Amino acid sequence: MRSSILIASYLWKDTWKRWFEQPGSPLSRLFVTGLLALVATVILVAFHLLERSIRERLERFGLNTIVVRESVNSDSRDLTVFTDAPDRLAALSDHGQKLRVRQLFVRGTTEWQDGVIVLTYGPESFDHFIEFLSPETPGILFSEELPPDALVRVNVSRHATLAVTRRPQGWLRPLITEDMLLVPQGTWPDEERLGFIETTIFQRNPDAIPVAHLVSAMTTFYAMDRDRRSPPQVQSALPMIRELEKLKERQVQWRNLLAAILGLAVSLVYGSIAVLEFRQNLFVTALLRSFGAPRQFLFWRHLIENALLANLAAISAVALMAALHTAIFGTLGFAKPVLDFSGGNPYASAEVLSILIWVNVGALLSSIPILIGLRTPVGATLN
Amino acid sequence: MSVPLPIRPSPTVVNGGQGTMTCHEVSFRYFRQQPWVIERFSYSFAPGITLIKGASGCGKSTLLRLMAGYLVPAMGAIVTPSGRQPADPEFQRRDLGYVFQQLNLLPLASVTRNLTLAASLAGLPPETTAMRSAKWLRLLGIEEFASRLPQSLSGGQQQRAAISRALVKEPQVLLLDEPTSGLDDLNTRVIIRALQEYVNGARICVISSHDARLESLANEILDFNRFLPVERHLEALV
Repeated sequence: MRSSILIASYLWKDTWKRWFEQPGSPLSRLFVTGLLALVATVILVAFHLLERSIRERLERFGLNTIVVRESVNSDSRDLTVFTDAPDRLAALSDHGQKLRVRQLFVRGTTEWQDGVIVLTYGPESFDHFIEFLSPETPGILFSEELPPDALVRVNVSRHATLAVTRRPQGWLRPLITEDMLLVPQGTWPDEERLGFIETTIFQRNPDAIPVAHLVSAMTTFYAMDRDRRSPPQVQSALPMIRELEKLKERQVQWRNLLAAILGLAVSLVYGSIAVLEFRQNLFVTALLRSFGAPRQFLFWRHLIENALLANLAAISAVALMAALHTAIFGTLGFAKPVLDFSGGNPYASAEVLSILIWVNVGALLSSIPILIGLRTPVGATLN
Repeated sequence: MSVPLPIRPSPTVVNGGQGTMTCHEVSFRYFRQQPWVIERFSYSFAPGITLIKGASGCGKSTLLRLMAGYLVPAMGAIVTPSGRQPADPEFQRRDLGYVFQQLNLLPLASVTRNLTLAASLAGLPPETTAMRSAKWLRLLGIEEFASRLPQSLSGGQQQRAAISRALVKEPQVLLLDEPTSGLDDLNTRVIIRALQEYVNGARICVISSHDARLESLANEILDFNRFLPVERHLEALV
């Protein structure tokens, strides 16, 4: 034990002296590993954030939600203001619940000139919005940004109305892409006669047939209506799930590619330097071996040195990226909620931690030539 | 290009007795295509001081390195007094002291630390190490340089420090490769005195040297030139 401490302390002194005399040797290793780890971190975190943003969209939309949008123009026979259009999805009532609203072609503006989309609801959908209504006004302004429960003036064409602000939740979440004004059907008949998008939000019962089958059934129903000019748009979570799967596939490909590049680069750079330094240090190594110092001990010295530098560089690169996270990924266009660490720290994810594994594998591979070099007999080195 | 001269079989009888270090039919060459440097060499090194003398390149140093386990013979066997293989690290740690011709000391360790490191590998307790270090450093006249780094010592001082490092273990087998080459008479006398003190008839000490000043010290002299017809040819040339 004592001899191990003495040898380790001597080797540490020797390493430190070498670093001090040839700073290019540790610095080049730190730089190369740091740079590669930085690039790998950016790519892996970007994938992580992309995945998170798809998951968030998916969560917002709902796995069991299907949204059907059907354009009703001013000359359509389905254009009615005070009565509901025929319910083409009535046959699917046993499989889930529906909410029907109309998105008008006209848009509104708040008193701060922010644009809002305008929707109307009929009597059949009234009970879905009772909890959001305010005694002051029938208008509801769903907004993620505006403070809730405030009264806001909204202008729609030449009309103005007061609306109470509410946070979007439940049924309406799949529709919210921007602030949304909801008023009872018939509030502005002239604007409604210009046309609208008949929007049906269908929530599948958990025990109903799969979403893919429901989507197929809906498409079939609409296809049977020969008077239609254009098919409705049926939107479900399926494309998002496919997108997520594709992203994960690409993520795995990139992870493997990065692992290969990082591991190979580290092993080649570190290996070349380790061989040069081993040669420079051949005399001391052989002298220690001549006293009977274990060969493994001398191998560990190179392995630890390489692993120390590789880990230091990789951890520094990840820490640097974490510090610049919002600035870098904000510039790359990621939304604020996705950038937030509250949904999980991407720098502590398995993908980013795998960078440490790759550099350590590289460090281990780079030390193999040393293992071979240590097989040279002491007598071939020392005279 | 000089070709190493081969050592032919020794006429000495191999007794392989206890406490001896025996080479039995040992052959060695550095590369396959080259001739043998040592060929079927047999000899039994008894306790005491054996001086191997001979011309440069005759294989003296190679033989010492084979005996120390630093090279492995292509054929034959070397039996150490403890029965361990020469290449066994335990033999090198505990039973062997070796002094190289040059570059003997760890450059970043003081003389004391050089001694302590070798002693700790041999498994000596710190008190024994301290006691023996003081003894051998005093006997070799480098006590006052104990805390200095090798680079601040003269060649003679470095060589004496290297010998004290080999002696601090008080090993069964001490092998010295040209320990006095390039040293003045005073340094040589100090080394001779220390070696006499160490061997004391009970341990094996093999010195490879062509320094005639060491001949008086040897209990036995092994002249490698006897096996080298080429050397006789060189003598004739002179």
